Amino acid sequence: MFRQLRTALHAGIVTEPVARGAEIERIGERLAGEIARLFARSLAIRQVDAGSCNGCELEIAGLTGPHYDLERFGVHFVASPRHADCLLVTGPVTRNMAEALRRTWEATPDPKFVIAVGDCGRDGGIFRGSYAVVGGVADVVPVDAVISGCPPSPAALLAGILEAIGRRR
Amino acid sequence: MDRLAYGLAALAGIGATALGGYGMFGGVWTLRLAWLVPLGGLELTLDPLGGFFLALIGFTLVPASIYAMGSSGGERRDRFAYLVFVLSMCLVPLASNTMTFAITWELMSLASYFLVLHDRESKESIHAGWVYAVMTHAGLACLLAGMLLLGAWTGSPRFEDWRAAAPALSGTARDVAFVLLVLGFAGKAGVIPLHVWLPLAHPAAPSHVSALMSGVMIKMGVYGILRASLDWLGAGPAWWGVAVLLAGAASSVIGVLYALVDHDLKRLLAFHSIENIGIILLGIGSAMLYQQAGLEALALLGLAAALYHTVNHAAFKALLFLGAGAVVHATGTRNMEEMGGLIKRMPWTAVCFLVGSAAIAALPPLNGFVSEWLTFLVLFQNTRLDAPGLSLVFTLGIASLALTSGLAMACFVKAFGITFLALPRSDAAARAHEVPPTMRVAMAALAASCVALGVGPTLVVPALGSIAASVLGVTPPATVGDWLTLRVSGTFASLSTLAIAIALGLALLLPLVALPLVGASRRTRGYETWGCGRIVQTARMEYTATAFANPFKRVFDFFYRPAKRLDIEFHPESRFFVERIEYENPARSIFDDWLYRPALDLLRAGARAARTLQSGSANLYLAYILAALLLMLVLA
Repeated sequence: MFRQLRTALHAGIVTEPVARGAEIERIGERLAGEIARLFARSLAIRQVDAGSCNGCELEIAGLTGPHYDLERFGVHFVASPRHADCLLVTGPVTRNMAEALRRTWEATPDPKFVIAVGDCGRDGGIFRGSYAVVGGVADVVPVDAVISGCPPSPAALLAGILEAIGRRR
Repeated sequence: MDRLAYGLAALAGIGATALGGYGMFGGVWTLRLAWLVPLGGLELTLDPLGGFFLALIGFTLVPASIYAMGSSGGERRDRFAYLVFVLSMCLVPLASNTMTFAITWELMSLASYFLVLHDRESKESIHAGWVYAVMTHAGLACLLAGMLLLGAWTGSPRFEDWRAAAPALSGTARDVAFVLLVLGFAGKAGVIPLHVWLPLAHPAAPSHVSALMSGVMIKMGVYGILRASLDWLGAGPAWWGVAVLLAGAASSVIGVLYALVDHDLKRLLAFHSIENIGIILLGIGSAMLYQQAGLEALALLGLAAALYHTVNHAAFKALLFLGAGAVVHATGTRNMEEMGGLIKRMPWTAVCFLVGSAAIAALPPLNGFVSEWLTFLVLFQNTRLDAPGLSLVFTLGIASLALTSGLAMACFVKAFGITFLALPRSDAAARAHEVPPTMRVAMAALAASCVALGVGPTLVVPALGSIAASVLGVTPPATVGDWLTLRVSGTFASLSTLAIAIALGLALLLPLVALPLVGASRRTRGYETWGCGRIVQTARMEYTATAFANPFKRVFDFFYRPAKRLDIEFHPESRFFVERIEYENPARSIFDDWLYRPALDLLRAGARAARTLQSGSANLYLAYILAALLLMLVLA
């Protein structure tokens, strides 16, 4: 305990401030408005890694960090599909993860929507046709929106989520 | 035969409750049999404080005895020891001279020693019995020294005469008597660092005995501390109160910290007894400090809070020990890591244990909440003392009580979750079955009393207030609120657990009524329990008690000093295939390592040195006698 406290005291604040008026801010504000209107100010997302190289995960994890701080727009990553409105699925769906993804989709309460993230999530990407890969996310569960990119940038991710919500209307 | 003995004990419990209740509300009863025992004779007196503790014993004794009828009764020896234990315990709060007290106290300790030792074959029990015997007799030695000194100074072995004569004694004499008496009683109460016998003795005894030992026997220590510091010796200097308050703060935090990392269900409960004794001492210590400062109303409230927590702890701890006993009865193990899934197999026990867990974790509207709220309230009003140093002590008490409540909550999430929820972790747990009706009735009665004590503080507090007033020699407050709301210390704070209970009940019903009203969709879709997408779920994938406790172990590593042992056996062909992993992460007790072991080593070295005197040669002994004789002659 004392070691942790000492480290925290020494390290200080290491985050850089976000630029004012950046793209992420503009998209974020529109997203916050939509979420306030449609989801009572809180959109719960369950992220599923169906076999990703973790490139997309790095970007998604970046969203929740202090720099982008996604939670201020009302987006929360939750620990169980039981709590989720939306599944954010990354990676080509591998044979080992196909059943788990299906179960996750079943376990998410209706109404729900699924966003496939990254080129792999779209159609399997460079892994398409591999013996270990079933295909894109859409080959296993119904997909409502796709965010392309390898990996997509945080701003692209936000824009994709915004678009997916817009399509649900 | 079984039923007869325990039936008798239950009847004794009813009698004790009745007599104690009579004493609590001002009844007086005395019994003197001067010829029965030497040095003052047998002398019993009923007064409000003694009556309160007598009623407390009876209140716990009845369900524990009913429970014992259902569980396997043990041998005849055990039943006899049980009867001696409960009867002598009933006499302790009535004893009113040194001789009577010493005899009843020692009978209670000895009988409970035999009950701890009921499994004579197991090494664990023998060790537990040995530690218990040593600790309890070290305590008795302190008590006897204190009582005999006090008797010599005041010229009477009767407690009544002490009350009159003790305030006139010199400061040092009073301090010596206080230290000896409180040390002796604190050993029985299990105050840190005299707690070492509790986590050994409570698990070793049968569960109905553990319930009594933890629920009421250690309360005899509290009774003694109250008698010694507030009754016999009268108001003392401020450091008495500070010592009691700090001991309470240390016991509460350290007790719950040990409980958190222990996965033996009964030992965990034993550590919680140490914690709750600490909470009671916080109340008593602040009462002593306020009394010394002349703030009578606050002293009264502090004592009432301590007495309230005493009753509450007896209720929920007896319930939890009986519940743990039912679980051990059904699964044959005390190790939580081999339980799980019992809520489906033992629903009655599970519900009762849940009520007890919520009560000990101080969740409103149950009883633990009320008394901890009162204790907080008493501690928070320290600003009315005009002494910054004392306020610091009080602040320490507040901080430790807050930490304790939080950790106790975490501990009972672990205790209930790992024991009763999820899939069974062993075959024994999978084959578990509900216990017989007598055991269930006993648990249900205690669970009901936890709820009743929780929602009815407006009835309980005035009664406890009048007992506290009689101990402190002040007039009880005229009013503590109306039937619904408890108002204490004027406008400082008020509480209505009944209103909370009603609001919680309504909140549970609200969705059932409100959702159809607003036209929410009632469409449902059933799907299997969420298991992280796995195709096969086994008990091996479950959260364990060790894993639950590990974050706490890391945060408080300076206290636990965990010794990590990891032993991995690989496949001989490749290190990628693991055949067996053994992981152990035991906490090491700082009291064993830094206090008891050095003290015992010193004692052993002293004994070894003294042994050279005893050579076995008769000539040498004759020389000793001669030397002693010469010395006496010279001195005379």
